[in-house]
Amino acid sequence: MALWADRMRAIAGGSRPADEPRAISDFAIETHALTKRFGDFTAVDGIDFAVARGEIFGFLGPNGSGKTTTIRMLTGTIMPTDGTADVLGYDVRRDPEAIRRRIGYMSQKFALFEDLTVDENLRFYAGVYDVEPERFAERRRYVLEMADLVGREHELTANLSVGWKQRLALGAATIHEPELLFLDEPTSGVDPVARRHFWDLLYDLAEQGVTLFVTTHYMDEATHCHRLAFIYAGRLIAEGTPFEIRTQVMTQQIFEVRPDGADVDALLEALERDPDIVEAYLSGATLHAVAAEDDARALERRMADAGFATARAVGIEPTIEDVFVHLVTREKEAAGD
Amino acid sequence: MKPKRVGLLLWKEFRQFRRDKLLLPLVFMLPIMQLIMFGYVVGSDVRNVPTAVVDLDHSTVSRSLADAISGAGYFEIVERPSDERALQPLMDGGEIQAAIVIPEGTATRLSQGQRAEIGIVVDGSDSRIASAASGYSAQIIGEYDRKRLEAEGLDIQAPGIDSSVRVLYNPSLRAVNTMIPGLMATVLLISTSSIMAQAVVRERESGTLEQMFTTPITRGEYVLGKVTPYVIIAALQLGVVASVGTLWFRVPFNGSVWTVTLGLGLFVFTSLGIGLLTSLVSRTRQQAQQTVMFILIPSFVLSGFMFPIEAMPAPIVPLTYFIPLRYAIEVLRASWLKGSGVAELWVPLTAMTIISAIVFSIALATFSKRLAD
Repeated sequence: MALWADRMRAIAGGSRPADEPRAISDFAIETHALTKRFGDFTAVDGIDFAVARGEIFGFLGPNGSGKTTTIRMLTGTIMPTDGTADVLGYDVRRDPEAIRRRIGYMSQKFALFEDLTVDENLRFYAGVYDVEPERFAERRRYVLEMADLVGREHELTANLSVGWKQRLALGAATIHEPELLFLDEPTSGVDPVARRHFWDLLYDLAEQGVTLFVTTHYMDEATHCHRLAFIYAGRLIAEGTPFEIRTQVMTQQIFEVRPDGADVDALLEALERDPDIVEAYLSGATLHAVAAEDDARALERRMADAGFATARAVGIEPTIEDVFVHLVTREKEAAGD
Repeated sequence: MKPKRVGLLLWKEFRQFRRDKLLLPLVFMLPIMQLIMFGYVVGSDVRNVPTAVVDLDHSTVSRSLADAISGAGYFEIVERPSDERALQPLMDGGEIQAAIVIPEGTATRLSQGQRAEIGIVVDGSDSRIASAASGYSAQIIGEYDRKRLEAEGLDIQAPGIDSSVRVLYNPSLRAVNTMIPGLMATVLLISTSSIMAQAVVRERESGTLEQMFTTPITRGEYVLGKVTPYVIIAALQLGVVASVGTLWFRVPFNGSVWTVTLGLGLFVFTSLGIGLLTSLVSRTRQQAQQTVMFILIPSFVLSGFMFPIEAMPAPIVPLTYFIPLRYAIEVLRASWLKGSGVAELWVPLTAMTIISAIVFSIALATFSKRLAD
């Protein structure tokens, strides 16, 4: 592992093989007006963002918002219709091959060959990336330990359970020690413990200097990222650190409303009708309400007037999920006008 | 194009083949079974064809000829009408499928050393029975004549009994032997195109295709690594099918091995191209399978395998030029049975070359448009 970290530092420090010219950039990814249209449908609509080297960058958005299309453009799998994207200093249009040699990609499908063994999958991907035999022996040992698959090298991948497959997929995607790793909803369908474990592995990679580009729709995972970007209907609607997003995007006060015996559905309906409430939605067993005012007592009084005397409101810090709901609601309303 | 990566893809593919428990039966048992099963349907021995004999001669010769015909086991004489005009209603009603007409004066003509003609009428609506019946009856009559001449101490070249076949309902008739080579090509088309059609779409479904395109593997390398194993399999299938045709069905082989191999090889390549294209454009395996069916059915109907092209309505005929199976059957029938070489068969051979070049170009072009959507 030390070797990889050295290489990463060397790359970050600017020493690179002389025969491979590339733009000097502190950014692993930089896009300008990146656009992808499929016929009349604009899947990605002129997005600009940058991902610093060594960063864990969270790319959030509902299904169908353009997350996967963006990743496909950045990995050189599909060509952008318009705009530019530089990945590790290479233009995705001109040099997709150079990019593909240096990146890793792991999707929600854990695209391993199910009818190959653990070992064969690793050998295949190592061969594809031209990993030297000695280096492969080392990497293989590391991946097997990381994925907790020592002793199961010759088992068919189809027989592994989801958590193991996920870690093996991560191992296969990083067998060539990529500088940048794309993870497209890598934790969907995985239990919370395995997800936790998986994020620990991602932190390890980040510590070694690997840049991580992660899409997810688990909002708790978003807080694991250094920086976040929200995409909705093909456009970026917010960007920043989780802290910035929570504090700057949301300027309004958010309340947690506990019904305490009142009918939740009726209360939600009443809140949605209240002109002073910007948004109201279910969050677990409670409701979240976004209000223009920031007085919890006043909100409780109005709820009591509406017939919900037991309901209690507490001002809270918005979570990433609150911000997400807020942004999507705002966009939907804007689109509806 | 890096040979090492193509080699890696081949290694991977053969590993997967080895673990695929359905592949071996599908690739080898299925074509053998299809060939044997269909082979019997198209080429089985026809026995006891219900037959009418119209003996207008009432001579010893005519009687012994009728006995020879009924004695061979192929024909069962069920009617002996006295007038030729009675045959049509009998055949219309399906009571008979063949008739032998011995004209008045046959014995007299033969005794005067003249040629005598025996009429054979067969019901062409079932081409299998019709071809067998006309073939067998002509053979029986020929055999009878040879024995008669021998017995009378005459030269077998001397004028004797001739048979003329008249086919009702379906005048263009083919011999059974022509069915087997056509069947071989058809069976190869079914197995190669349907197996190939599943190959890429399966990887698309499992997500490994997308994964591989984020790696340095190029599309050219991928296609080469994908098609080569199936070319090898198809070559083995070709050998198996040809062996079953010659060894099991004893279809006489009069042609050149090279011409037949070239023709079948080109055809198999075209079928693989069609399968590959199907696999590339399909989103799911089911879709691929349906597309293959959609291609196979017109192939069966328009290739001349089941229905002779000569008998097709004129506006339909141009469509057959787009059916690769048509050319394969043409090449096989001509080279297998008649011994035609490349010089005579350059038209269908070129047609198949052009079609496979077009199909593979479209496949690669489609693929180069990347995953697109």
